[in-house]
Amino acid sequence: MKVQHDIVIVGAGLAGMRAAIAAAEKSRELSIAVVSKTYPIRCHSVCAEGGTAAVLREDDSFDLHAWDTIKGSDFLADQDAVELFVREMPKEILRLNSWGCPWSRLEDGRIAQRPFGGHSVDRTVFAADRTGFHEVHTLYERMLMYPNIVRYDEYFLTSLVIEDNEVRGITAIELKTGDLILFEAKAVILATGGAGRLYGFTTYSHTVTGDGMAIAYRAGVPLKDMEFVQFHPTGLVPSGILMTEACRGEGGYLRNKLGERFMQKYAPERMELAPRDVVARAMYTEIREGRGFEGPYGPYIALDLTHLGEDRINERLPLIRDAAMKFAGVDPVEEPIPVRPVAHYTMGGVHTNINCETTVKGLYAAGEVACVSIHGANRLGSNSTAECLVFGRIAGEKAAEYALSKEFRHAPQEAYKAEEKRIFDEFLGKSGDESAYQIKKELNETMDKNLWIFRRAEGIKEAIRKIKELKERYRNVEIVDRERKFNTDLLTAFEVGFMLDLAEVVAIGALNRTESRGAHFREDYPKRDDVNWLKHTLAYYTPDGPKFDYIPVTITKWEPVERKY
Amino acid sequence: MGSEVTFRIKRFDGEKSYWQTFKVPVYRGMTVLEGLYYIKENYDGTLAFRASCRMSVCGSCAIKINGKPRLACETQILSLGSSNIDIEPLDNFKVIKDLITDFEGFFKKHEHVKPYIIRKDDNYENPTEILQTPEQLYAYYDFTLCIKCGACYSVCPAAAREDYLGPAAITAAYRFNADSRDGGSEIRYALVCGDNGVWRCHFAAECSEVCPKQIDPAKAVQKMRVKAALHTIKSIFGW
Amino acid sequence: MSWTNWFRISGKSLFGIAFSLHRLTGVVLAIYLCMHLTYLTSLKFGKEFYESLIKTTVSPTFLVFDILLILAGVYHGVNGLRLILHEFGLAYESRRTLLYAAFVLTLVLWFVASYQMYRFVMGV
Repeated sequence: MKVQHDIVIVGAGLAGMRAAIAAAEKSRELSIAVVSKTYPIRCHSVCAEGGTAAVLREDDSFDLHAWDTIKGSDFLADQDAVELFVREMPKEILRLNSWGCPWSRLEDGRIAQRPFGGHSVDRTVFAADRTGFHEVHTLYERMLMYPNIVRYDEYFLTSLVIEDNEVRGITAIELKTGDLILFEAKAVILATGGAGRLYGFTTYSHTVTGDGMAIAYRAGVPLKDMEFVQFHPTGLVPSGILMTEACRGEGGYLRNKLGERFMQKYAPERMELAPRDVVARAMYTEIREGRGFEGPYGPYIALDLTHLGEDRINERLPLIRDAAMKFAGVDPVEEPIPVRPVAHYTMGGVHTNINCETTVKGLYAAGEVACVSIHGANRLGSNSTAECLVFGRIAGEKAAEYALSKEFRHAPQEAYKAEEKRIFDEFLGKSGDESAYQIKKELNETMDKNLWIFRRAEGIKEAIRKIKELKERYRNVEIVDRERKFNTDLLTAFEVGFMLDLAEVVAIGALNRTESRGAHFREDYPKRDDVNWLKHTLAYYTPDGPKFDYIPVTITKWEPVERKY
Repeated sequence: MGSEVTFRIKRFDGEKSYWQTFKVPVYRGMTVLEGLYYIKENYDGTLAFRASCRMSVCGSCAIKINGKPRLACETQILSLGSSNIDIEPLDNFKVIKDLITDFEGFFKKHEHVKPYIIRKDDNYENPTEILQTPEQLYAYYDFTLCIKCGACYSVCPAAAREDYLGPAAITAAYRFNADSRDGGSEIRYALVCGDNGVWRCHFAAECSEVCPKQIDPAKAVQKMRVKAALHTIKSIFGW
Repeated sequence: MSWTNWFRISGKSLFGIAFSLHRLTGVVLAIYLCMHLTYLTSLKFGKEFYESLIKTTVSPTFLVFDILLILAGVYHGVNGLRLILHEFGLAYESRRTLLYAAFVLTLVLWFVASYQMYRFVMGV
């Protein structure tokens, strides 16, 4: 079965929906398909809590936001992209406001902003502590206004169709019926999100398995900077649910077993509001040196909000209070919350330039799946929801311009037939003796152990060995569910395959990068090495494993300096 | 901690529905969703259910647990006080497979009430900052918390007839009417006035009892009824 | 959706039960209304015919049904007033109190009315 559209957007999170709106605004003549594996409002973007950074008021400046972002990235960010990003952000906030987003307000009715880690000025715009939730619903509701946006909800991406290095469309499984659909399009935008479920202890939803990244990688598009995975300091123990950085932004403290605010030793100026990699390493060091609390679910650090008072918590951090009570049995008004660093964001992704273009013509990428790169080696809080909005818009506009100027070309039928055969004959009909769930569990274990905050060569090599073993075992995986209709077993098997590919890139990239920068910390190479390593890692797919290349970082105004907080 | 519960799940394979029993080891704090994943991973990979965020913001996992619609991810097994956990898909929705129900109609009804800001000065290229005081924000804020999980719709007696708009859609209409930035109130009154709209509500108020976010859809529907009635009277007399 | 859903008792809370009872009593009262109108129409056939019907149904044997009928009527009326209040958008926050009050008031009025009916029919 096939359908035809001008633009196909895969992924209906913040970036995907923003791209759809931007393309639809560019021209009402374009027919835009939004394909996602869940309903748009069930995307992972709804989990975002803290806020979205933008320069809105007089006491702030674009250069300052750019400098904060670049310093936060440990100077691996491409500075031209960051400069564009900070300039486009304020309008996005105002647009969301006009579209109904319930931003939290100051007394006089202006949009409020709160302090956040790594930002010199209070510039994080927020909606209580459910910012992502409100932004997603606002974008979804706005998207309903455009008749030329057609939604395909619960369709699972299986491959990109590329001919002569130009994109022709995608293939996706319609979950309700189990049929494979060919989407023919002039332009495709990937907005499928990150790859956090590589790890066991993570803030990510179950659905975030790096589908778009892995499929692009297999199709020949390089992945950039995959070894940089952000570990958010405050993940609830034991579920991994995010306790937003805004807890610290509103004045919360981190305390070790001795009751001290240990951040004094690691970042005396910013304290708890240092960038996330600094805080995560600090917390882990405290735990390793025996100053963490011991609990039934492992060691933890205390996130103390008790001094903020019930009113402030109910007003600014209602979801945190609810989640802490429901998922950890702790009321933040009375007691500190048990937290530990948790896998949270993939700085790396599909390599794109400042216009969201990838190396394949007509293929764009925006949001967490892409790496422009504006976050470099470490992302500042409230910059990711911002990135999705700005680069979602840019991808939508560029894809629209491309689609308006291009002639439509059909996708080759052989690609569709080959994909059908691959999925339904080779995969679905498979029997084997490996369980996809078991493989995923072992992958999570090895990633949690060896590719966590502190990495060393022996551990990473062990992980690489394990991943290769899992990939061998994966060839023998069994799909228990033989029905086509809503086959969640088949989807899980696909997702595990994607994650194995990505894990290999992360691990080998981490082994190669013999320095410590941002979120990637090597105990055997603890210093930042600008002479050899001020460059982006590119990974290309080959059947024997990723092939690596390096490209320079774009530097416009700010030369790298020592990163102290 | 060594204890075990029995999950009885109502399954559906496309043709017939049947109950299946599984024994699940349970620890303090384990949620029903974790139980479902345990069953899928260790007993039967064909068990189909929706789940995503596991932190009660996405609304995917609403199912009937021991007769009451709840979010599986936030329901702790030990808090149910029973060693038999009955799991069924939501009522009033057509079942596709096992616990997965068809939400197409639910979302279409939400779209029907035009749940977006309608303003004359919609400037995409150069937006201006529209002010809104905290009081104006609180007037509608609670109703923005709807995660569209479908629990309200599944307990609504009026929704037994498929065409009723449902508490969630009418709450969304009220949310926008109460938003100081919106100018489309009259349009929405007309949309919720029909045979499938607010007049079908007879205040069983079950929706407010089961809403996981406690946003009181029953209250929103009643408020819309009053305004819709006034709107209808005005339009009859051409006022 | 199948028509049997109309008969399903939705929800487990007292609100849902109140709604289902309101529906049930509504049907009972509607049927009773038909019977009542039939009775009154019987006047067409003369005073004796009407009085014979009255003698059959207003008697100790039928007292039980009458008392149940009163319950249905009182419940539907009192609950109905509660619903009217809420459907004007009023007193939503005190809905639980009003629900309990409606049940209590129903019982009180039912006892009073049933007692009066009992005395009338039994000639006490």
